[in-house]
Amino acid sequence: MLLLASVLELTHFQAMTLFSFFTSLVFAFLTKQSGRERAKYFLWAFSLFMLVGLGLGWLMYPFPR
Amino acid sequence: MGEAETLKPDSGKPAAVAPKSVPPALEARGWVLGALGWAIPGLGHLLQKKYDRAAVFFVCVVSLGLLGLAMGAKLYAPPFDRSQGFFVLLLHVLGFVGDLGTGALFVGARMMGLGQFYMDRALGDYGTVFFLCAGMLNLLTALDAYDIAVGKKG
Repeated sequence: MLLLASVLELTHFQAMTLFSFFTSLVFAFLTKQSGRERAKYFLWAFSLFMLVGLGLGWLMYPFPR
Repeated sequence: MGEAETLKPDSGKPAAVAPKSVPPALEARGWVLGALGWAIPGLGHLLQKKYDRAAVFFVCVVSLGLLGLAMGAKLYAPPFDRSQGFFVLLLHVLGFVGDLGTGALFVGARMMGLGQFYMDRALGDYGTVFFLCAGMLNLLTALDAYDIAVGKKG
């Protein structure tokens, strides 16, 4: 795993996309019953994760640490 | 109150329905399936023949956890550092509770000696959050398995 840690280099955007994907999928299957409802909820949650993440990123852009 | 009972208030508002009590045997089964779902993500659903949910929960929780470890996650565990004050101690304890949510994944990672140190890069912080969220999501799926077992959810 430590070897993988040294090999695995994700950008911030890739990490956010992976996180949004898996989290939205779990939420969709937890809260909805039918396949169509799950698909709609997954797309909605995933889009919001990405949009809010990008929005917050741009808001913080003028304030580098 | 054994059965669901419709209450008739005097105020003219819609009648409220009292919650149904769960038989002890069903309650115990729910706890067992919830605990199994906590220990191994998706197992509580698999044993209730909810195959699609079991597969999705297993893949998502394990993927998030393994990705977190691969990114260099710091896993919180006792003994906790008390030298930095109460707030930091509280954060570490809560982090431990969140990490513990991944069940066997956390135990296995600790036994393999993973997640012992902070990595001095942003991806390590992301890894810590990935693993924490895997734990929180797994706790939600374990509660879902309990709800299905006691008949609160289909």
